[in-house]
Amino acid sequence: MALEPLKFQDEKPPRPAAPGKKWIRVTKAVNGIDTEVWEEVSDDAGGPQWGPRDQMRLVSRAIPRVDGPDKVSGRAMYSSDMRLPGMVYARVLRSRVPCGTVKLDLEAAKAIPGVLAVIALNNGNIDWLGRPIAAVAATTPELAEDGLRAIVATYEEQPFAVTPEQSAAENAPKVNSRGNVRTLSKNTDSSEVDAALGKAAKRVQGTWKIPVQHHASLETHGVVVDYRGGAEATIYASTQGTFTIPGDAAGRLGLQGGQVTAVVEHMGGGFGSKFGMGIEGDAACQLAKELGRPVHLMLDRATEFHAAGNRSGGEHTLEAGLDDKGQIVAIKGRVTRHGGVGQGSGHPIPYIYGRDAKVFVEDRCIHTHTDSSRAMRGPGHPQASFSMEALMDECAYASGLDLLEIRRINLADNRRELYMRQLERCAALIGWDKHPFKNAPDLSKSELKVGIGFAIARWGGGGNGQCKVEVRIAQDGSVEVLSGTQDLGTGTRTYCASIVAEELGLELGAVRPRIGRSTFGSANASGGSTTSPSLSPSVKHAAHNARLALFEKVAPLLGVKPDELAVGLGEIHVAAKPSQKIAWKDACAALGPAGLSAQGEWQAHLASSDVGGAQAAKVQVDTLTGEIKVLDMVAVQNCGLLLNRMAVKSQLQGGMVQALSYGLFEERVLDPDLGLFLNANFEDYKIAGVREIPRMQVEFEDDPRGVIGMAEAAVIPGHSAIANAVRNACGVRVFDMPVTADKVLVGLEALRKKG
Amino acid sequence: MKNFTYVMPTSLEQVVELLPGPRDLKTRDRVKVLAGGQDLLGELKEHLVEPEQVVNLKGVPGLAALTQQAGAWQIGALATLAALEENAALRASHTLVAEAAGSVGSTQIRNQGTVGGNLCQRPRCWYYRHEQAVCIKKGGAECFAYGGLNKYNAILGGGPSYIVHPSDLAPALVAAGATALIRGKKGERTVELERFFTLPSEGAVTRENVLAPDEVLVRVDVPAMAGWKSTYVKFRERSSYDFALAAVAAALRIEGGKVAEARLVLGGVAPVPWRCEKAEKALVGRKIDAETCRVVGELALEGAEPLAHNAYKLPLAKGLITKALTKLATA
Repeated sequence: MALEPLKFQDEKPPRPAAPGKKWIRVTKAVNGIDTEVWEEVSDDAGGPQWGPRDQMRLVSRAIPRVDGPDKVSGRAMYSSDMRLPGMVYARVLRSRVPCGTVKLDLEAAKAIPGVLAVIALNNGNIDWLGRPIAAVAATTPELAEDGLRAIVATYEEQPFAVTPEQSAAENAPKVNSRGNVRTLSKNTDSSEVDAALGKAAKRVQGTWKIPVQHHASLETHGVVVDYRGGAEATIYASTQGTFTIPGDAAGRLGLQGGQVTAVVEHMGGGFGSKFGMGIEGDAACQLAKELGRPVHLMLDRATEFHAAGNRSGGEHTLEAGLDDKGQIVAIKGRVTRHGGVGQGSGHPIPYIYGRDAKVFVEDRCIHTHTDSSRAMRGPGHPQASFSMEALMDECAYASGLDLLEIRRINLADNRRELYMRQLERCAALIGWDKHPFKNAPDLSKSELKVGIGFAIARWGGGGNGQCKVEVRIAQDGSVEVLSGTQDLGTGTRTYCASIVAEELGLELGAVRPRIGRSTFGSANASGGSTTSPSLSPSVKHAAHNARLALFEKVAPLLGVKPDELAVGLGEIHVAAKPSQKIAWKDACAALGPAGLSAQGEWQAHLASSDVGGAQAAKVQVDTLTGEIKVLDMVAVQNCGLLLNRMAVKSQLQGGMVQALSYGLFEERVLDPDLGLFLNANFEDYKIAGVREIPRMQVEFEDDPRGVIGMAEAAVIPGHSAIANAVRNACGVRVFDMPVTADKVLVGLEALRKKG
Repeated sequence: MKNFTYVMPTSLEQVVELLPGPRDLKTRDRVKVLAGGQDLLGELKEHLVEPEQVVNLKGVPGLAALTQQAGAWQIGALATLAALEENAALRASHTLVAEAAGSVGSTQIRNQGTVGGNLCQRPRCWYYRHEQAVCIKKGGAECFAYGGLNKYNAILGGGPSYIVHPSDLAPALVAAGATALIRGKKGERTVELERFFTLPSEGAVTRENVLAPDEVLVRVDVPAMAGWKSTYVKFRERSSYDFALAAVAAALRIEGGKVAEARLVLGGVAPVPWRCEKAEKALVGRKIDAETCRVVGELALEGAEPLAHNAYKLPLAKGLITKALTKLATA
């Protein structure tokens, strides 16, 4: 039997809530039917609520990060900044060959005065280029480097495949025992899609190539292991997961997890590549155990490029069949992921679009003798976006449709309203209405040409219940919020303080956030944009419980019941009579020397999930040089409750910059014959700099939902919009990222020859 | 980097005394001179050179001087790129030199990098810069770029090495008719800057210029360019900081709307700054219009032989020539 939907008795509460009270909707059986009714309850009944946003002082406002001054002044301590008494410096030697075996003679290295320990890291089998094979600890970084160079590594090189082309070739050297090219999808029957394509009014196709991108975190992977023998160790780790460290390290040190403390005071970027100890962490533990001294091991930049992960590249061959109205009726694709020895993140094709279309996608991976890809901000989505948004524009041009109209037609019904609202807002912000090339690229002969492109993104961004937070109020009125969580530079530390300050009626500076230590309450690792939706409800809960506990102590002083109290700025007062009050310090004085401590856990109703965003880019193409100048990027993003508008704006802008860099510059380059990584440095692995950054506008759609993580959505569409804008500007579709001037010039020559 | 001894002499006599003998070709890299260090430090860190001794030139007085007399300039080897970029008089008289200096690297690099260092810097080819790739530039048998990933390599003057000369100042100063003052154990000599740079097919393939092991570049002299207009147009893939994919140093003397004299030198396309004499001659007597730009572009790139991945440099260099000439004609 289908349940009747819940019925609302009234749209609005019957009257404004009394002081200290609030209206909630509760489900009640009225005449045997489940009905929602309004009920006036104490403000605190039913647990914490974010409350009305227009009354917020700190949350949902734009506030500078509390750790900003420390970071810009250099006071902030990153793992690589740690200096401990007796500490030694370690370096990692990586394999010079992609495939083969190596024999190590460590004696010469050990003989160098100042070199304290030299260890082999694997059994001598090499199956990817740059795989760490040995580590050296010495009294200075320079001596550790000398030690590395003194290791005699004798390689027996075997044939290798460092590029997908090499790996897929006939008689290619074997990379994976299950085959170099593996089909991961199960369905092999494309007959239905083939039939639909056969009947389509128009067919549009292309093959898009996506390079391997690097996380390029400014702080490389690494740890400082403080273990001097005995039963306790502290690991200062550059990690996205404080709690991913103790267990890993304990195993290496021969300790119990509880005997190892992880410290992540500040970390210099991870973007998905920094979970757990990694080979470098294992090596540091081994060396510390051998020497009984603290070991500092941060990868050098070249090793970071070779052996610390990347975003999988890929190749997408897509074909869309359209009906005569521009609706895609069939999508056939072959999606190949390039994940090195790994298989790469899934590239979700078709991406968002393609409602009601018949879809057949063969999902494959090609293995190469290079390090495995890892998660990277929005895994798989930016790759899928690149080919899918290009396909959409090609469908529009083939059908003579406006670039927005093709999207309207092909978005699913339950997505259309959201994305079209966002796309149209982007269009308004970027000047689409005055743009003359809405349904065909500009093929005129002018020197400087301007084009516009659009793209959209989706992400889950929900939370989960792994966080435990403590709020402490001391007798002197000072307040601390404690959580083991890590701040990746996203503003976690700041909202820990602001949520508590808001709840307790305090200024931001009155709450000291203490995070990044595994002895504090547990917290989830920062992946998948889950940190804020997991942590912030837990912080809110702890703050809420602290307030209630304080009210218990204060109520007798004011001669009222605890639920009659409310907080004002720096005071606690009777809700119905605000003049009857006690100052914060005086209230806390009643706590006694132990102060109070309150715990918080995840509150599902304070979080939500599922974000969508749209972006647009306007570019100028110089047809004499092929130069692409991004003039404008705009973003419209929904994201539930914004914990800190300034931080969310930064997240979006950061995502847009990272996507711009991905689309226009970034690419791992390997020489297929020599088996060498040619650009494992910040000169030749090009990343956008200040002059590449366009005007940027960011708008949020405030929606009534709870907290949702949106950091990954920010990075998904930008490069696709830019590539589409280049095509719109000058007619050249660059199928392989990065979209660079040389490819535009070659494309323009080809267009000229075609006439 | 490998350990070395570090010395800071106070006179040029002492500097050349410390250098190897003029015929010590095989052991010349045992001593390296240090100016701004922007290139040398990278070479040391990557173990591309492992000198026993590094001789810092900064103790020698007067090497950073930048002086003008009757429109002609003397530029000391230790003058910084920033000093050139920021000198208003130089920018007025020799626009192309100031523009070229200002296009180098980043602000930090220009504050530290010197004229001598910029002219004598080693190639940026990623095979040359990779310690494991023992290419012909490093005494190996092969230019890996030739049959490899050569997007950034030469389309003119290549073989047996296909590097491009990385200096921005070099094409500008060659176009300005500069000469190099060189000091060696036997005294001073002067070389036209155009002859200072050597093609891999002419000089030693492991070097890019005529400096003997006992020699050091001391000063660049730039003649007056009264009546000339000039510019340096550089194309960078990443404009924040990058080496040139191609660049044009152009100078014109225009009389009555027509070119009376012209200098055209390309950067980023050849192992040396590439003087385009045929194009220069063709410019004389013409006014700058689309047809002139087309003809000059064709002549300038005559003989170009693109490799597998750098054919784009042809339209790019032509496009830059058009931009440079148009800019000078309308300035």
